[in-house]
Amino acid sequence: MGRIVGIDLGTTNSLVAYLDPQTGQPKCIQGPYGSTLCPSVVSLDPDGSIAVGEPARRRLLTQPERTIYSVKRLMGRGPADIQDELKLFPFRIDPSSKNVIRVKLGGKVFTPPEISAFILRELKNWAEAHFGETVDRAVITVPAYFNDAQRQATKDAGKITGLEVLRLVNEPTAAALAYGLHETQRGKVAVYDLGGGTFDISILKLISTSDGDIYQVLSTNGDTHLGGDDIDNLLQAFVHELILQHDEIDFSPHGELAQELRKALIDVKHQLSESETATLRFPLPNGKVFIHKFTRCALDALIRPVVDRTMGPVKQALADVQLKPTDMDEVVLVGGATRTPLIRRTVQEFFGRPPHIELNPDEVVALGAAVQADILDQGVKTMLLLDVTPLSLGIETYGGAVAKIIPRNSTIPASAQELYTTGVDNQTGIDIHVLQGERELARDCRSLARFTLRVSPAPAGLPRIEVKFLIDANGILQVGAKDLRTGDQHSIEVQPSYGINHSEIERMLEESIEYAEQDFAERQVIEARTESESILVATAKALANPQSAALSAEERAKIEASVAALRESVAGSDYKLIRKRIDELNRATEHLAELLMNSAVSTALEGRKLAEV
Amino acid sequence: MSNNSGYFELFGLPRKLWIEMGALEQKFLQLSWKFHPDNFVNASEHERELSLRRSSELNDAYRTLRDPVGRVEYLLGIEGARKEGEHKQQAPPELLEEVFELNESLDGLREAKAAGGDLATLKLRLESAEKKFQEKLGEVDAQLQAAAREWDAALQGDAATRKKIMAKLNELLNHRSYIRNLVANVQKELL
Repeated sequence: MGRIVGIDLGTTNSLVAYLDPQTGQPKCIQGPYGSTLCPSVVSLDPDGSIAVGEPARRRLLTQPERTIYSVKRLMGRGPADIQDELKLFPFRIDPSSKNVIRVKLGGKVFTPPEISAFILRELKNWAEAHFGETVDRAVITVPAYFNDAQRQATKDAGKITGLEVLRLVNEPTAAALAYGLHETQRGKVAVYDLGGGTFDISILKLISTSDGDIYQVLSTNGDTHLGGDDIDNLLQAFVHELILQHDEIDFSPHGELAQELRKALIDVKHQLSESETATLRFPLPNGKVFIHKFTRCALDALIRPVVDRTMGPVKQALADVQLKPTDMDEVVLVGGATRTPLIRRTVQEFFGRPPHIELNPDEVVALGAAVQADILDQGVKTMLLLDVTPLSLGIETYGGAVAKIIPRNSTIPASAQELYTTGVDNQTGIDIHVLQGERELARDCRSLARFTLRVSPAPAGLPRIEVKFLIDANGILQVGAKDLRTGDQHSIEVQPSYGINHSEIERMLEESIEYAEQDFAERQVIEARTESESILVATAKALANPQSAALSAEERAKIEASVAALRESVAGSDYKLIRKRIDELNRATEHLAELLMNSAVSTALEGRKLAEV
Repeated sequence: MSNNSGYFELFGLPRKLWIEMGALEQKFLQLSWKFHPDNFVNASEHERELSLRRSSELNDAYRTLRDPVGRVEYLLGIEGARKEGEHKQQAPPELLEEVFELNESLDGLREAKAAGGDLATLKLRLESAEKKFQEKLGEVDAQLQAAAREWDAALQGDAATRKKIMAKLNELLNHRSYIRNLVANVQKELL
């Protein structure tokens, strides 16, 4: 058996972590670019190969039509669900999409689980490169408020990757688990988790028993379409409007320029988490540079609606278990977006206590997943997670109403039995429609599955079929039926309303192996070589430019030595060494890059690398 | 598929309606350690199936027994004494007049909403009616508690007495669900 890892499959970034047996502490694995964060971006090259993470993110600017980000927003959803997202995100939906969305990347079409599978495979590669061993099992985290279809889609992504998904763990629960290792916390804990695209709030109770510690989730709530992305969208719309007014440039919201602006604005947002002001300098196609000074105050006013939207679910989660904000013994902040000072302040004021921020909010979920992966892998248990289902499970009854059979916040696994019979003589089928949600009418809830119970012809009311609806420990629905007269188990083919069927998954698994055939290390070498190529060309060109005369002899010698060292490393196949040499050359050419920029643009391009000039 | 062991038996409890919550929780946690699927990830498929079944049953049992009303409903169900009201939509006789008034106010509010009329007075009337029915709900709950105590006391008693108590519990449950629906309807209109 291979190794087991914990994976945080995020909207913006994904991470992979494991439990270090030496320290007993969870640890995130670094990728080839020196970061533990793998941008959740996938790009299809014209030659048919797939790039994931950092290289794909760069392609957002150069090949947006072949590149996709925030695919998590599409998981488990149908075309009709995502009309709002389409206004804000550059998803290119294929017209062939029926229940399952299909996204176009260049000339090819993929489902969201397939795209997520590319990200999972990349992380699997990171881990395998780190261990020097195969990785075949994983715990993957999902937003606590994910419904059945979204969870199923995540599990499918794991299958397509060839990973055995031992458990889907809710992100806030994973975070609590990671914190539990750091300090002894007791009592009630609120976990506020604002990620790139999803928001969750979970209320937990930490209990010490003679068998070990129990993390019992009491209630959970959230919004699977609310996150840091929404803050970026607000910023982008605000600046688009300003540029339209000042410079009369109306650029298409999804083009290259928009992507570049988005990137610049995210930098501004990050700066404003640290300081009171930040300045956006953005070169426009008309040769001018758009300059705007942001204050933290102005940012706060702009993003206040997003922060306010999180508080409804927070209040609901507390109300569901009759608790007050002050009943919480601890509050934990999770997700990159919680670095925003306004969010920290709002949460602190609401609960009346400073939140925990000791662990890196980007890493904490992956760390918790690694802890749970280790718990599942070990025979000896010292910790137990009891999680809940975020949404009520119901069945459609007469007149389109919904009868709730498993209420939200029920500890999972949970089940309910319903007895069915026929209404007319010789009826051969009973239609059953399963839904998830809190509303009273079927049309307002999320359709999970429809199926028909087959019955042998008999007088009306005579057949007695017991259907068992079970939500498993992953929060995924299973259905079984038994004929009470004969004792026979019924096999039920449940066609998920928004899922992919089994044969499709098999086909996707086969196809994904084709993409995987190119060895990970080999691909890294190719990518590093391509990058050195462009930087070597750029350097040669720059050295030929008359402006370079201003370089000192010492600087020139340093550049030449770095060029030689990079050329030498490219001949070998150590991609880490190539990357190191690229960085060295980039540093050596910083002054040269500055000299080459014309004065008007130079302020906007400060800190840029030579290859980007 | 169905419940092999009853919920009370699963917790080692007699079929009594008064349950000490602390002890129930302790037992729940203890059994969770034993049954939870996390403990059977590397076990055979049969064991995993069994764990899923037992742990879901445990959670269903805890959810039911923890809730005072759910507990009565469940008990009547296993005793074969749960009968939902034959005339579900009919008001209990002693509430007839108040329900009539309430429905009039509700209709009035709906009409006023549609016509864009003045809602303030109607809302006030409904709010006071809601309060009244909430109080009724409290009364029914108190009666339910009293009947539950009777049940517990008659645990060893004769069949006829027990049957009578069960009929009373059943009626109170129906009563309760009628008032609850009423309150829910009012709350919906007041939103």
